Amino acid sequence: MVGNLGIIQVTTWLLLVLLFPAIHANREIGNRDEVVDCSDFYSETRPTTNGSGLLRGNLTSSADVKQIGSDKNRIPSSNEDLVERSITSAAGTRYPYEENLTIRPLPNSHLLTSFSFHMKSQKFVPRQSSNDYNDYSHYTVFPKAFKPMLDRTSTRQLSLRFTRGYWDSESWGRLPHDGFRSGGSGVELWATIESRSKDDAFKQWKTLANSLSGIFCASINFIDNSRTTFPVNSFQPNDLESDGLPIFDHSKQLYLIRAALANEPICTENLTPFIKLLPTKGKSGISTLLDGHRVFDSLWHSLSIDINTRCNNSTDTCHYYAEVLIDTVINVPSVLARNERPIPKPVPSEQLRCDLSKPFDAFRCFPLPEQTEVQYSISQIFGKHIVGSNLISDEPSRVCVEVTDRWNAFVDVNGVFYATSDNCFDLRHSINQDIHLEATDSRSVAHLEEAPVYVSRSLTGYGQDRGGLRTVFNNPSLEPITLVYFESLPWFMRVYLSTMKLDIDDSGDQELTLQQVIKSMHYTPASDRSRPTHLEYTVIVPPKTSFSISYQFDKSLLLYAEYPPDANHGFEVESAVVTVLSPTKYQTRTATLLLLLSTPDFSMPYNVIILTSTIMGLIFGTMFNLVLKRLVTVKEADILQSRNKSKLKVFKERILTKLIDLRG
Amino acid sequence: MALLGKLHRRIVDVGLVPKIVASLPVISIICALFSVGWFALLPMEGHYRRTYISENALMPSQAYSYFRETEWNILRGYRGELEELMDVSIPVRNELVSTWLEEFGMKTAVYHDTQHGDTLYGLLHAPRGDGTEAILLTVPWKNADGEDNVGGAALGIALARYFSRWPIWSRNIILVFSENSNSALRSWVDAYHRSLDLTGGSIEAAIVLDYPGSNDYFDYVELFYDGLNGELPNLDMVNIAVSIAEHEGMKVSLHGLEGPELYENSFFSRLKVLLMGVKSSALSGLRKQHGNEAFSGWRIQCVTLKAHGKDGSHDITTFGRIPEAMFRSINNLLEKFHQSFFFYMLLAPKYFVSISSYLPSAVAISLSFTVASIDSFMNNEYKSLPFSTIYNSKAFVAWAITVAVSFAIAQLFLHFPAANLLIAASLLTSLSPFMPCVGYRISRTLSFRLKSIAFIVFGLVLTCLLTVNFALAFGMGLLAYPLTLIRVSQNGQQYKTLRIKNTLLLIISNPFISMLIITALFEPDLEGIQILYELASAWSDLSCWTWFVICIGWLPTWILGALSTSNKPDLLSVDGEKKEQ
Repeated sequence: MVGNLGIIQVTTWLLLVLLFPAIHANREIGNRDEVVDCSDFYSETRPTTNGSGLLRGNLTSSADVKQIGSDKNRIPSSNEDLVERSITSAAGTRYPYEENLTIRPLPNSHLLTSFSFHMKSQKFVPRQSSNDYNDYSHYTVFPKAFKPMLDRTSTRQLSLRFTRGYWDSESWGRLPHDGFRSGGSGVELWATIESRSKDDAFKQWKTLANSLSGIFCASINFIDNSRTTFPVNSFQPNDLESDGLPIFDHSKQLYLIRAALANEPICTENLTPFIKLLPTKGKSGISTLLDGHRVFDSLWHSLSIDINTRCNNSTDTCHYYAEVLIDTVINVPSVLARNERPIPKPVPSEQLRCDLSKPFDAFRCFPLPEQTEVQYSISQIFGKHIVGSNLISDEPSRVCVEVTDRWNAFVDVNGVFYATSDNCFDLRHSINQDIHLEATDSRSVAHLEEAPVYVSRSLTGYGQDRGGLRTVFNNPSLEPITLVYFESLPWFMRVYLSTMKLDIDDSGDQELTLQQVIKSMHYTPASDRSRPTHLEYTVIVPPKTSFSISYQFDKSLLLYAEYPPDANHGFEVESAVVTVLSPTKYQTRTATLLLLLSTPDFSMPYNVIILTSTIMGLIFGTMFNLVLKRLVTVKEADILQSRNKSKLKVFKERILTKLIDLRG
Repeated sequence: MALLGKLHRRIVDVGLVPKIVASLPVISIICALFSVGWFALLPMEGHYRRTYISENALMPSQAYSYFRETEWNILRGYRGELEELMDVSIPVRNELVSTWLEEFGMKTAVYHDTQHGDTLYGLLHAPRGDGTEAILLTVPWKNADGEDNVGGAALGIALARYFSRWPIWSRNIILVFSENSNSALRSWVDAYHRSLDLTGGSIEAAIVLDYPGSNDYFDYVELFYDGLNGELPNLDMVNIAVSIAEHEGMKVSLHGLEGPELYENSFFSRLKVLLMGVKSSALSGLRKQHGNEAFSGWRIQCVTLKAHGKDGSHDITTFGRIPEAMFRSINNLLEKFHQSFFFYMLLAPKYFVSISSYLPSAVAISLSFTVASIDSFMNNEYKSLPFSTIYNSKAFVAWAITVAVSFAIAQLFLHFPAANLLIAASLLTSLSPFMPCVGYRISRTLSFRLKSIAFIVFGLVLTCLLTVNFALAFGMGLLAYPLTLIRVSQNGQQYKTLRIKNTLLLIISNPFISMLIITALFEPDLEGIQILYELASAWSDLSCWTWFVICIGWLPTWILGALSTSNKPDLLSVDGEKKEQ
C-alpha cells in the first residue's frame, strides 16, 4: 500500500519535472504576450510599431513608470549636479550616490557592459586633523577605508586600474571613456600627492600603495622605487578635470607619481573589495550583477577607481569624489553556449549551421558565421537578475542600452516587458528585474567612434643578450595626430636611445625623419635596482601614415637572488601609454611584453661547489705536505727509508726483549 | 703528496712516459676506436633511458580531446573548399582563407616577401591570457615533398575555429600558412621577430602540420624534430607529441622508419634510429626541411607532425587531436620548458640517450686529434728544438694563411657557387704528396709542425662543437680521422707507395669530397654535388652554420695536412738544418 503510494508520488513528481519545461515555456510565451508599450505614459511618445508585435496593455499603477527620456536625469556630466542632489530629499535620507549601467552591443556579437558608480564624501575642512575636537567624521556612502588613507598620505587624486584582456580597437572602436578609465594589462596606479619634497612624496606614495594593497588584496605593495616614475606629460590630472587640484598647504607642492605591475593576475578577490566599496555592497541595484565568474570570464575587463578632491574656495570646504567603473566585453554566443554546455564540445549534428551554397551533405559542412537574429537577457549573461534598485539615493539605478533600431531592449519587471523610447530604464522596484535584448540583425550596432590612432609594440631580436623594442604608430585619419608616448622600462633593459630609428611604411612619406616626427622628449635613464627607464616623447603622426620607432637594448644579468623562483616564464614589461592630445583626447595602451633574460641553471652552483671543493681538498693536501715535509732526492729517500726501517727494527726488538723479560 | 709522490716515483721507475710517448699513434687510434665503440654501445640495455615528462605542468592527454564528431564535418567542409583552391594562385587563396579566419574572430595579416613567398597568418587573442606569449600552428601550403598540404590546411583552419570556442587559452594562438616549409617559413619567423606589425608576443612553441592529399584515413605519424645548428626542441615537446599520438593509438615514426620497423625494438633497430638521428641532425638544413627547422634560434620549441599512408585505420580528426592535446599541454605551462632537457638523442619514440651518455664518444674523437698532434710534435727527432724556431713561426703563419684562405673560399662560394671547381681544386691539392716531384718541397721539420698545429686546432674545434652540435662534431671527427694517418716520409722509405697512400687519405678526408661520398651513400635525396649548393643556401636562407663550420674548422686543417705531405725526403739536409739551428 505504502509502496504503491510511493510509486504514485514518484510518477507525479516525474510528470511534474517533465512538464515543467513546457509549463515554463508557456509562461514565457505568456509573458511575451503581456509586453506592454508604456509610451503613452511618457511625455515623449514613440510610434507603437517600433516594438515588433508589442501589445498595448494597462499598467496597474501609472506611478510605476517614471518619466524618462529627457536629458535632465542623465548621468551628471559635471559634478555640480551631484552636489545638488546630495542634499537630503523630502522622501527621507538620500545620499550622494549614483549608479548606472550601459549596455552596448559591439560588432561580431560582442557586448560591452559598463557599470559606473559615483560617490561623494561628506564635506570636510582641509588642514583640520581628524583628531581635532571639532572634527566629526561620518562617511555615509563614501568608502570608509579611503578618507583616513587619503588624509594620511595627502593624496589629492588617486587612480587605480585593474585591467586584463585585449581590446580590439580595430573593430570595437574607442575604449570606453576614451581610454582614460582603463589601464594596461595588470594593475596600474597613479596619484597626485601633496608633499614638501620628492623624497617625502615617495614615502607617502609607498604608504598609499601599501594601504591600497591591503584594501584590494593585490600585490600593489610590490611597487617600489625600481617601478615608480614621475610622469611629466602623461597622466596630467588636467586631462580630465577642468579645474586643477587643490593644495591644502601652499608651502608644499603636488607630485604626480605612477607605477604599474604588468600582468598582475586579477581575480575575484580583487573584485570583492570593489563591490564592498559600494554602499549597496552588491546586495541591491545593478551591483548585484557583478559576479566574479562572469566579470572575469570576458575578453576584456577593466576595474577602475578614481578619487578626486574638490574644494569650494568660498566656504573653504572640500569633498572627495569617488568614481568606480567596471567595464567588461564578452562574446555573447560563447557565453550563452556555456550556459547550456559548460564544455564547448562539438555541437550536435542537428545544430550544425552549414553554408548551403557550398557542397553540403551528411559528412561535409562548411560552417556559417554566427546567427545575426539574436535575443538574450542580461541575466543570461551575468547569471543573476538585478535585485531591486539602490535605495539610498534619489536617483534610481539606471540602465541604458545603446543600440540601433534593429534592436529592441526591454526591461523585464515581474515577467512584464517594458520598453522606452531612448532605451534607458530607471529601476525603481524592489524586485528582481532583467534587461532583455533582441535584434533582427546583430551586426548593426550603434555608431562606434574610430580610435584616433593604433599603437602596437613588440620585442624584436635574436638571442639572449640583446633585443629591440619596436613601436608601430598608425594614424588612419585625415588629420595629423599629436600624442605623448610614455614608457617605463625595467632597469635590466639597458636602452640605447642612440639606436632610435624611424621606419616608414611603404605607402608613407619616405622623406620623414625622426627629428620631424618626435617633437620633444623626456628621458630619465635607469639606475640599477633603484629606478626604471622613464621615456616620454611627443610624436606627431601625419595623416594616413604608419611608421615604427624602434630602439635597441641590452639585457643585463641579475644577481642570483633577483631571479624569481622557478615558476616564472620571463619578466613582464609594462605596457606603454599613448595619450592623444589633439585633435581629440584619447588614451590607449599597448600590450605588455614578456622579456626573457638569460637564466642560469640554478642547479649548477651545486655542481660547481662540489667540484671546487674536491679540487681545493686535493690541492690543500698537496700544498700542506709540500710546506711541512722536507724535499729529498729519490736516492736520499731510499737511504732514509732503510734507516727508518732499521730504527723500527731496533725498537721492535727492544719491546720484544722487554716482553720476554716480563714473562720471565 | 705521499700518494701522488709514490705514484710519480712509480711512473718514473717503470719509464711509463717515454713508453706512452712512443705509443701515441696507437693511443690516437684507440681513442678513435673507443669513440665509435662507445657510440655503438649506446643502444644497449642500460645505456639509454625511457623518456619521461620532466615538466609536471604539461600533463599530456589528461584532458579529453573533443576534436571529433561534428568537427569532422566542418573539417571536411573546409577541405572540400580548399581542394578547389589548390589550383588558385597563393595570394588569391590567402585572401579567401583570411576571410574564413576572420569569420570566427581571428585577426589576419599577410607578410609579403617577393623572394621567398607570401605568408598568411592569423592571430587569435587568448580571452583570459596576458597576450605576451603565443603558440603557433603552422601549415605550409606545399610540404617538403612538394605535395599539396590540403589535409593539413583544412585541419589548421578547423582546429583554429575549434580553438576559438574554448575559453581556456592562456596564450595567443597564431595560425600560419606559408608557401613552403623552408625558406618562406623561415623568412616569416625572421620577420615576426623584426618587422611584423601584427604580433602576439613571444612564441613559446610551434607545431607544423603536414597532411598531404585529401584522404580521410592515414596510417601512422612521423615526427620531425631536428633543429638547425644542432639545436633540438625541448625533449618534453617531443615527449608530449609521442605520448599523445600513442595515447590516440597511432604509431610514431622517427627518421623515416616505416612498416614493420615501427614495431621493432631490438639493438639494431635502436642503433638504426640513433644513426639516422645523427645523420639528420648533422645534415639538418641541407636535407628536406619539414618546417620545424625554420623556428631554430628563437627559443621556440617546434616539431613537425606528418601523416603517412592513405588507407590506415586512423581518421584525420585523430591526427587533429594531436595538436589539440599538445596545445592544451603547452597551455598548461606556468613557466618555460624545463631548462636542462635540450641535449638528447632518440633511439625510439620512447627511448633516449642523455648528453652524459653520448658525450664521451665525441670527446674521445676530439682527443684522438689532440693525441695525434702531440705525436707529431714529440715523436720525431725535432722535439728538442726550442719553441721559438723558424719552423714554429712558419707553421703558425701557414695556419693563419690557410684560415684566411678557407674563409675567403667560404665567402666566395656563397657568391659564385662553383662546386665543380671546388672539387677539382680539392682533388688537385690532394696531389700535394707529389709536389716534391715538381720541385716544390718543404722541410721535414715544418711538415711535423704543420701536422701538429693542424690537429691541435681541429681537436679544439671539435671540443667546442661537441656540446653545441654533437652530430656535426662526431661526423666531422670521423670523416677527418684519416688525416691523422698521413705519414711524413722518412729516409729509406718507399716514397711511391707512401705518396699514393697519403694522396688517398687526403682525398677521403677532404671536407667536400667526403661529404659528397657520405651523401651519395646515405642520403639519396641529395644528388651529386647538390649538397655543396645546399650548404651555401642553408647559410643564406636559414642561417645554418654548417658551411662555415666546415670551411673554417675543417678545411684549414685539411690544407695544412696536405701541405705537410710535400716534404723533402732526404735526411741529410735535415741534419744540415739542424746544424744551422
